Amino acid sequence: MDAPELERINALLDRDVELREKIKEQVNELDKKTRTMIGVLNKIHSTPPESMSALLDPVRLTLSSCQEATSALAELIPKNQFWRWKDMWSNSIRTAVFSAALIQYLSNRSLLSLGQASEILGIKAEWNDRMTLPVEDYLHGLISLVNELSRLAVNAVTLGNFEEPIKISIFVKELFAGFSMLNLKNDTLRRRFDSLKYDIKKIEEVVYDVSLRKLAEVPQTNSP
Amino acid sequence: MSTVTTSIQESFNAFRAELDDYNDRRERLIKTIFLLHRIAQGDVGETADDVELGKRAAQQGYQKLREIQGHFSKLQPELEGDKFWRYQRQVSPGLQEYIEALSLAHYLDHGSLITYEEVQRTLVDPQGIEYFPLPVSDYLLGLSDLTGELMRFAISSIARRGGRKKASQVCAFVRACKADFERMTPYIRELSKKQAVTAQSLEKIEDAAYAIVVRSSEYDLPPDMLDDIVAQSVSNYHSYGDETRQASGHRRGSGMSDDEDD
Repeated sequence: MDAPELERINALLDRDVELREKIKEQVNELDKKTRTMIGVLNKIHSTPPESMSALLDPVRLTLSSCQEATSALAELIPKNQFWRWKDMWSNSIRTAVFSAALIQYLSNRSLLSLGQASEILGIKAEWNDRMTLPVEDYLHGLISLVNELSRLAVNAVTLGNFEEPIKISIFVKELFAGFSMLNLKNDTLRRRFDSLKYDIKKIEEVVYDVSLRKLAEVPQTNSP
Repeated sequence: MSTVTTSIQESFNAFRAELDDYNDRRERLIKTIFLLHRIAQGDVGETADDVELGKRAAQQGYQKLREIQGHFSKLQPELEGDKFWRYQRQVSPGLQEYIEALSLAHYLDHGSLITYEEVQRTLVDPQGIEYFPLPVSDYLLGLSDLTGELMRFAISSIARRGGRKKASQVCAFVRACKADFERMTPYIRELSKKQAVTAQSLEKIEDAAYAIVVRSSEYDLPPDMLDDIVAQSVSNYHSYGDETRQASGHRRGSGMSDDEDD
């Protein structure tokens, strides 16, 4: 290689390294926020329903502050290079989706849609070649949600809330039916999908215990 | 309750369509890349064997490479916009193979290393629009594979007329490549592994050059006549494996003769 060519290649490589470091910085910021949220959200297992919204409000604030990180990333990523760099933050973004979905469920027992998740994280549609929320990451977030809800079913009963496991059971079964429609390849999503079955089993056992002792009314119309 | 169910089903239907699209495209790309692998490998073998014909071999190589470029052009719609980086991992093995073949043809033709710009310029449609952006990492990794091909080229040409001079040129060239890549190794993960292979190839060429120098010192002959003798003595060996064995056997032989002297 002659000197100018060598210089050009080195310049290209240096540019990538610089970009990687800048992205890393933003991902660290995002990571700090998601960790804070997870820390607070752990307390849902020991929080009675009436004080739940007081617990969730500060988490909502942290969640919307994630928008700073996503817009900074959208600034950094060159056109068309979203998929080149996304592995650097997919874990953090999945955790953020999980937090958002959990808050949504605890607030009104509904499922956070992909569009809502993107909106909460401040991801704009016109960024789609630089920063977007891929279906895969969204689905990973939902699986984490089910993992967490199976724990919540147990702990809600401990707190004397016997209705909660039944609501969770209905919600998770619908979600599971949705996941069953997907043709998953043998990847991480597939492996995590398998974990849903164990979560459902755990939730069903709680529902069984509750209904056996007539602690709560199980709606019969739900069975197909 | 039923509205929630239908909305979940609707959104998961959309997710299914998107995941299926991703998987299908991924498989289509892998198929094409395998095809490229086969063509590229065949191509490399042919040019390397055809040493005497230097430039003409390169021309033949270009012909085959055009065929590969045709395949790359078919990938263009599959890899538009942000899709290229999504599937880059599927494309890169075939792309590296292509760069290896292209750089060998270029070396045979011009005696120099093909530049990044030149590689990118082979991957454009008639309007000058790139099929996809060429990643620097694939460019360098492809070139790194070139050193292995050049090793085969150098060793198999030693036996031919004027091949010893060519071998020493290749030796210097590979050495320069190795030095150039050294500085870039920390930037690209797979490059350090390939650097080790390059070092091995270089050592093989150096061993062969050493054997030639040691042996030719035994004869006080002009290079032309030496060519004939070398051609005769190695006519039984065809593959480079035999050549290198011969080179190391030579050293062992000289060691043994020392023992006899004692």
